[in-house]
Amino acid sequence: MKKGLPLILVFICGILGIIQYFAPHPVVQDTDNFFRNNLLKILAAFALVLGLGSLLKVHMDKIKRKRENWQYSWVLIIVFIITSIIGLFGGVTGEGPLPTRIGSFSFDNQTIYDNVIVPLGSTMFALLAFFMASAAYRAFRARSTEATLLLASAFIVMLGVLPLGDRISPHLPSFAQWIMDVPNVAGQRGILIGVAFGILATALKIILGIERSWLGGGGE
Amino acid sequence: MKIIDRLTKIDRRIIYLILIVVVALPLIVPSVEKVRVMAPVEKLFNAIENIPEEKALIIDFDYAPQTAPELDPMGFALLRHVFKTRVKLIVISLYVQPLGLAQKALTEVIEEYNSEAQTHEDSIVYGRDYVFLGWVPPPIIPILGMGESITNVYQVDYYGNRTDTLELMRSIKNYNDVGLLISLSGGNPPKWWVQFAQSKFGLPIGAGVTAVSASEFYPYLQSGQFSGLMIGMKGAAEYEEIIERELNIKRERKASEALPSLTYAHLVIIVFIVIGNIGYLIKRRSK
Repeated sequence: MKKGLPLILVFICGILGIIQYFAPHPVVQDTDNFFRNNLLKILAAFALVLGLGSLLKVHMDKIKRKRENWQYSWVLIIVFIITSIIGLFGGVTGEGPLPTRIGSFSFDNQTIYDNVIVPLGSTMFALLAFFMASAAYRAFRARSTEATLLLASAFIVMLGVLPLGDRISPHLPSFAQWIMDVPNVAGQRGILIGVAFGILATALKIILGIERSWLGGGGE
Repeated sequence: MKIIDRLTKIDRRIIYLILIVVVALPLIVPSVEKVRVMAPVEKLFNAIENIPEEKALIIDFDYAPQTAPELDPMGFALLRHVFKTRVKLIVISLYVQPLGLAQKALTEVIEEYNSEAQTHEDSIVYGRDYVFLGWVPPPIIPILGMGESITNVYQVDYYGNRTDTLELMRSIKNYNDVGLLISLSGGNPPKWWVQFAQSKFGLPIGAGVTAVSASEFYPYLQSGQFSGLMIGMKGAAEYEEIIERELNIKRERKASEALPSLTYAHLVIIVFIVIGNIGYLIKRRSK
């Protein structure tokens, strides 16, 4: 029962997900609508609560056992509680019942987002430019014919997508566009089709109960 | 031999220093870089222009601050285009992170228009001209659910108003009333819109994506599944160019101003790769 019920549920949901594309019958379409618009929403709400609960549990545990960098877990928990209260009662831009302004100092959700999340996120990503430049210099070597071709096409695309490429030669952007349109698309299509077949095979294995590792405890 | 060794072992701090100088200088003294508008961007512009009056445009803001420098200018340029031509607009997000960026873009662009509006008719009014529906998780729910009923998926908007009370939502029921959806994203959402909303409901899709992920999206453009595509900072600059040229929208051009930084950064990377390879080839020959 512990494994049988999930397998039956996955089989029913999986088959329903497929046949709604092939059977326009109102019963099939209505059932699919119910699944998509009601059931999925409820499941998502449960998943959200479960996810948040799990996050808190992991960090509480980390603090309790004083694991490495446990102090940061306090930061997470305190920020989680503060932003949740502000978000729930302060509204998006401070229009809720909770006051989110002391004099000229605002701490509503949008202000926190603009002044904390945006700079932190941008900083993390900006660092990538430096690593990429350094890594490209160290690793991008014309060691073989294939690597040389890759290097040449990278130069053409890098220059072709810039206004400078147009100034060097009006043909350069068109050539860069051709590389993206033809050789790139040929490769991408191959990957896409391969991935699609992989997804199809895995989905069928899960729906038919052949692949059971998602149940936990191996594939028995 | 010492020089060759040095060519292949330049200290990474020197690379970082040069890079920060060439990126920062053009931003400190900004200048607008004019660009040639390429076919994918022109297609997207035309797709918005061809939206029938009774239909709406959905813009899906799906980028986080990490990719905002590339995608934010796209969002701003699209909003300016939409508000200038008075296309009905619905703004959504499939994730929670982009909500703040969408809100910021809406606030700034609407302020630009409303500060110059003479009458209430000229102004951009919430509920009448645009709605911000916010976020409903997981992404598959809005993507599929809006095909049946938008107000059923988003029962309240981002500000907590009931969506069925909003003027715009009385005429826009589902994808049949939507002329185009544009997904601005640094990840997979544009593909999901094609896979689920377009294949099931025939919704036309356009996209704005980061330069690093662009190669994945070309097959969708080539097959006609994308009505248009903006790629990276250059794509955003092209859109700024086309709305200025065609609609006389003369506003701050964030992407066009950032292009010189991007150009010099690309050149620095190319130069360092060339230096590294010269050193490598000389070393290999001497062995």
